[in-house]
Amino acid sequence: MIEPLSESQVIENLRQTEDPSAQYYAAWWLGKMRSRHPDAIPLLLTTLKALDDTPVDPDRRGVALNAIRSLGLLQDERADSDLRDLLTSSDYSVREEAARSLGTMGSHAAAATIRSLLASGVDGAGSEQPSTPLLREPCEALLEALGEIGISDTATLATLEPFTQHPRPLIRAAACRALLQLTGDARWGEQLIQLLEHPEPLVRRGALLDLGATGWTEALTTMSAAAVEPSLKLVALRGLAEKSGDPQVLDVMDALL
Amino acid sequence: MTSSALGDAIRDLDRASSTSELVQATRTLCALKDPEAAETLVKVLGFNNPAVAAVATQGLIQLGRDIVPTLLVSMDARNYGARAWVVKALAALRDPRGLDLLEHALMADIAPSVRRSATRGLADLELDPVIKDQQLHRCMQGLLKSGQDDEWVVRYAAVFGLEQRLRSPHVGSSIADQAVLMLRTLASEAEDARVVRLRAALALQRLHLE
Repeated sequence: MIEPLSESQVIENLRQTEDPSAQYYAAWWLGKMRSRHPDAIPLLLTTLKALDDTPVDPDRRGVALNAIRSLGLLQDERADSDLRDLLTSSDYSVREEAARSLGTMGSHAAAATIRSLLASGVDGAGSEQPSTPLLREPCEALLEALGEIGISDTATLATLEPFTQHPRPLIRAAACRALLQLTGDARWGEQLIQLLEHPEPLVRRGALLDLGATGWTEALTTMSAAAVEPSLKLVALRGLAEKSGDPQVLDVMDALL
Repeated sequence: MTSSALGDAIRDLDRASSTSELVQATRTLCALKDPEAAETLVKVLGFNNPAVAAVATQGLIQLGRDIVPTLLVSMDARNYGARAWVVKALAALRDPRGLDLLEHALMADIAPSVRRSATRGLADLELDPVIKDQQLHRCMQGLLKSGQDDEWVVRYAAVFGLEQRLRSPHVGSSIADQAVLMLRTLASEAEDARVVRLRAALALQRLHLE
């Protein structure tokens, strides 16, 4: 039986640089456990420096990506500025994870840069990179971040709307999710509900989680009847319950246990 | 007549090669409502195909409690995915003979969805009248353990179960006190998941224990 690591051991594992796999695990653990250790944020920020090296060491890049995710979960303002700098990284995954974390943190200061990354629209940021499945920008993460940050000004809405017509259903779902969060306008919810009937299970799952994240309780009955496994429905309905505080959601969850 | 219909359905199942053919053959097998089909349906649970397993599980549940012994024996199988579906079927059938297995699943299973199903089963498993108090005590112990699970969804199911069980006048007073304490903890800031706090607060309110 392996003993679980203590928080102080994990901190030391992140501090050392000899063993990148111990650092990798430590960077993940601190976020997962919502660590409040005073050294956690400074050490996580230190790991991001590896992203400035040329070439970037692949092991240290992995540690940094975990650190970006954990910094989002830990919701500490000290990380805001460094994460915003990463939005303009040349590394797609770094931009993607930074956007997710800034969205989780609700960083108002990040909104303008995120909008600028999406400004070239469906045919620019949303176009496919040659010979990879990736789009030019991590659109799903960027769109969702704008919804989570919660600034519903004209510039943000104008950035989001074109992506509700994107050829990929998961990008459309991310745009609708953000617009529903920002405006509460039912037409975006209805477009998400249509995606719940998509033939691809992956799209149905994504749309379900997106509806949950919006707290739009009008979707409750449709969500509980969707052709998606109960475990995932419970995750999506958890989002709906926590965002809306509506006890009816709990009754529906009880029936799915 | 029935046995030949069963034989045909099993043969179709053996010949099926795609998910949609497997689902169709499993549906046909379920529609026979023949307890003799239970063993084959349990085998289907082990195909590692969630769409097919969901149909087979519903079919097993519809066959009712006569098939509980078949389900209990099938747990000897080492197939991990199949076990999850057997726990779901047993929880839905609410047969007291399932208690050992639900307890075991709660202690030993890696998958949160299995621990969730087992917890759900303990919430309203029917009790054997001869050893009712003892079985109720075991259900309560299991639910208290689920209330300390690492996964929010298992703790959520525990709150649901504790609320159901605390309605019974037969729960021993000492374990009932522990259950109320558990609900109060899960309704407090000590609990990370807001949805669990909301559900625990609702349970306390419904039990007039606020």
